Amino acid sequence: MTDTKYSEEELVRMLKNKDQQAFSYLYDNYAAILNGTIYRMVEDTGLAEDILQEAFIKIWHNFSSYDSNKGRLFTWMLNITRNLTIDTLRSKSYKKQHLISSDENSVNNISDKGRMVEKYDTIGLKKQISFLKPDLKNIIDLAYFKGYTQEEISKETQLPLGTVKTRLRTAIIELRKIMS
Amino acid sequence: MESKEIISSGILELYVLGQTSSEENIEILHWANMYPEVQAEIEAIQISLEKYAAANAIEPPKEVKEKLFAKINESTSSTSIQESHLTAIRSNPVVSISSKMKFLAAASILFLVASAVINYIYINKYNNVNAQLAQTRSLLEKELQISNELKSDWDIVKDPNNTAVSLKGVEANPNATAKIFWFQQTGEVMIDASNLPQAPAGMQYQFWAIIDGKPVDGGLIMNNNKDTKYRMQKMKSFGKAQAFAISLEKTGGNAVPTVVVSLGKVI
Repeated sequence: MTDTKYSEEELVRMLKNKDQQAFSYLYDNYAAILNGTIYRMVEDTGLAEDILQEAFIKIWHNFSSYDSNKGRLFTWMLNITRNLTIDTLRSKSYKKQHLISSDENSVNNISDKGRMVEKYDTIGLKKQISFLKPDLKNIIDLAYFKGYTQEEISKETQLPLGTVKTRLRTAIIELRKIMS
Repeated sequence: MESKEIISSGILELYVLGQTSSEENIEILHWANMYPEVQAEIEAIQISLEKYAAANAIEPPKEVKEKLFAKINESTSSTSIQESHLTAIRSNPVVSISSKMKFLAAASILFLVASAVINYIYINKYNNVNAQLAQTRSLLEKELQISNELKSDWDIVKDPNNTAVSLKGVEANPNATAKIFWFQQTGEVMIDASNLPQAPAGMQYQFWAIIDGKPVDGGLIMNNNKDTKYRMQKMKSFGKAQAFAISLEKTGGNAVPTVVVSLGKVI
């Protein structure tokens, strides 16, 4: 861990130049979140750590393809990680065949160059998240961590498709309220 | 669609969750570019989900980072080797193409110069040869003409039907000799006057047949058109004659011989 703080623009520039210090900073700030995300998807600590390492290797090698105009750095990293996890699940012949939107840049879109790299207070957030209603939390988990489609969520939760849609939106709105 | 409608429709939440179709994604990107508030909404949703992810954070063991960096350094050096290898592969053809092109350009210029020089030399040679050929051809034509003339002369000389009469120079003109080839069957008379000396200016040789003691005009002996040499030529025909003679007359000839220079009897 380093006390240095980089702006996202600075960090991106350094990473494009294969700066390992910047990469170390990136890891320190995001590894735990990505690891948690992967764990939520695979529910296997060892496998999650393997995928985490692969995800960071992919981020390191593919960094030149990151376009800050197309989306937030963290969102880009999350999408890489989620896609890699899904690919792993699929290749390990996990029964779930679903694939989240595979375009890393499909979830986009901000060009605020001045923003700082988010350093989330994970402990504080954990507390906050506990305020989210379990059925809303569940539906976000299914969509966000499991990459389920609305149809799949509908099957899983026995809720009508229209309700799934409404509840997803409600869950996000609630989440935003809690997290803000 | 207005930005408020878009935001309240709930599609942006689905979009951030990856629940929208690619067609919808395109539309949403379009809206995001059009309305800053849509863009801001998307970012707010993303941040809330990032926070949600952060709330689920699990600190990985320290070894993961160590392994990761070991792998990156290992693969960085191997990729840098790969990359330099790739660069070599990529740049080599480029360099070799350009040097090839340089070489080709230089070669083609050299070739052009060389071919110009060779062309110059060969055009000169060609012109020379052409001139020589023309010369040779005209020479050959001349020779052929001479040869044809000689042949026709020779045909006359060796003709078994002719009667050869040698004209001898009279005392004053011992060199004025000539040969007559007389074809008695047809009366044709050919004279080989090539041994006659050149007639003085304004004078001409005239041929005569002596018939029953009287000279009969046999025609003027002409110079060859092209040179001043006398050649075999056809004279007037005579059915009978006892002798032939040549006299030197003024140009145009005379009714009677003035000075006989050469004379020969038919034997």
